[in-house]
Amino acid sequence: METIFDLQDVSYTYLEKFEALKTVNLTMTAGEQISIMGANGSGKSTLLSILNALVYPTSGEFYAFGKPVTEEAFNSLEDNEFGRYFRKKVGIVFQNPDIQLFSSTVFDEIAFGPLQLGLPKDEVKKRTEGVISMMGIASLRARAPHTLSGGEKKKVCIASILSINPDVLLLDEPTGGLDPRTQLWLIELLQDLAKAGKTIITATHDLDIVEQISTRAIVFGEDHTIKADANCDVVMNNLELLTSTNLIHKHMHRHGKLMHEHLHSHDGENHHEH
Amino acid sequence: MLPEWMKEVETGPCQCCAVNVGKKKSFVEKSISGALNFFQDSLISEGFAKRDGLLQSLDPRVKLISAIVLVVAVSLTRDIRVLFAVYILTLLFAYLSKIEVLFFIKRVWVFVPIFAGIIVLPILFNVFMAGDSLVTVATLGSGAHLGPILLPSTIYITRQGTMFAITFILRVATCVSLAVLLFLTTQRDVLFKSLRSLRVPKVYVLTLDMCYRYIFLLMDTVRDFFTAKKSRTIRSLSVRDEQRWVAGRVGYMLVKSLDMSNKVHDAMISRGFNGDVKLLHDYAVRKRDYAAIATVLMFSSMLALISQNIIRI
Repeated sequence: METIFDLQDVSYTYLEKFEALKTVNLTMTAGEQISIMGANGSGKSTLLSILNALVYPTSGEFYAFGKPVTEEAFNSLEDNEFGRYFRKKVGIVFQNPDIQLFSSTVFDEIAFGPLQLGLPKDEVKKRTEGVISMMGIASLRARAPHTLSGGEKKKVCIASILSINPDVLLLDEPTGGLDPRTQLWLIELLQDLAKAGKTIITATHDLDIVEQISTRAIVFGEDHTIKADANCDVVMNNLELLTSTNLIHKHMHRHGKLMHEHLHSHDGENHHEH
Repeated sequence: MLPEWMKEVETGPCQCCAVNVGKKKSFVEKSISGALNFFQDSLISEGFAKRDGLLQSLDPRVKLISAIVLVVAVSLTRDIRVLFAVYILTLLFAYLSKIEVLFFIKRVWVFVPIFAGIIVLPILFNVFMAGDSLVTVATLGSGAHLGPILLPSTIYITRQGTMFAITFILRVATCVSLAVLLFLTTQRDVLFKSLRSLRVPKVYVLTLDMCYRYIFLLMDTVRDFFTAKKSRTIRSLSVRDEQRWVAGRVGYMLVKSLDMSNKVHDAMISRGFNGDVKLLHDYAVRKRDYAAIATVLMFSSMLALISQNIIRI
């Protein structure tokens, strides 16, 4: 399988002060479905930003599709063939839909990506209509983003990326704030995209979806380093790892594929009951 | 786990607890209402743009250019009868575009006293514009002065000043009516894109479009600030403390909007934006659009000729 992303000793520090990633070594190959797991602030979103060439490693090297991704190469995308290729190949769905929905109507939002990539206007319209139909959001096409519900916004965000038809899809906490029905719809969509051969990389701490949307899991610790990188079932059965990385509480249990918490009470300093 | 004070539960207010009722709203309540009104107004306006009326059926570029040409022609017009006729025409077009005329009049006249009334007020008096007396305001006697300015012995409202003020206000009202008609009958995104027909650079059109979109988001955030404050306000603070809180929120909004603008830029970059803006718009100019622009051009030319006394009425 072709290696699409290769991170060598990558670290990232915000404002030269706050460490977000520490000495990360990773390779990702085409067609993989990967979940990046970790507690809040462990560096998941920063890693996605690096994978989307939105920020650049403070130290270490990042290669995408065999070429180095550097600020110098991506600063000006004008007349940059690799930049255009990269943007066509890799799409990101941000955690906050309001960041991603900057156009005044749903139709314009979905048409934005194909337009910027220089597709002919007829092709842009055809694609936009196709994605709107596929996502079942025809009734939203003329609506302004601020009039949409949370689930509708998420659908439009995903549609706005799918219209570019990227081979690599990066998703940051995709199920955050979604109702159960929309979550299920999203899981099925990601499964369909995976079957079509897309690479899907999801940053999440929603353990319920990990095994449904990915085969490989990477766990970040609160010290911003990788604590595990293995098959999903191996990681999900390692309760000690999940507890130490703050992904589950010590009162969370796993029965087969079901993970759940028991209600418990504390009575005194060291005693508790289930 | 819980500290002792947190384990105390009150059963309810005591019987002597007074319920004071007042009509005056606090600034928090006013701000929340203001934000809600903003959303309500924008929804109503968007609703008009989607109606099946006369102006809604025209090409947005035709409407934009027509509105600009008419505003220039009206600005040249000095005859109060002509101005009145044009103003009545705007009401007729509002009616034909399925806009409630009373709503339209209110929307226009909210702005007119603010922008025109204050400017034109001094012109009414003989202190600034000599003319025939209409109403005497004060008799000061000879030698009266205000600082270095020598005042006339009698201050009165002049007939000429009144006519000038009415003409000026009517001119402003007509121009505002034309602009409001354009806004109410055209969807915002289409209106902004139609600016391209005036060769407005694409980057400004995109920025304007995005500004309009994010005003709603930031307004929503402001409403959340005030709602959260309301929910936790147990007693009123001093004016100074309230001012300090508002100043703090203003600063926070600035930081938040800057942070958001960076993230939005990232989202644009990730979807292939490289500084060269590309916009998708489809316009189909029909016979009625040609007829509309021709009529507007003829009418505006006629207004200009009347203003120059080439055509006399």
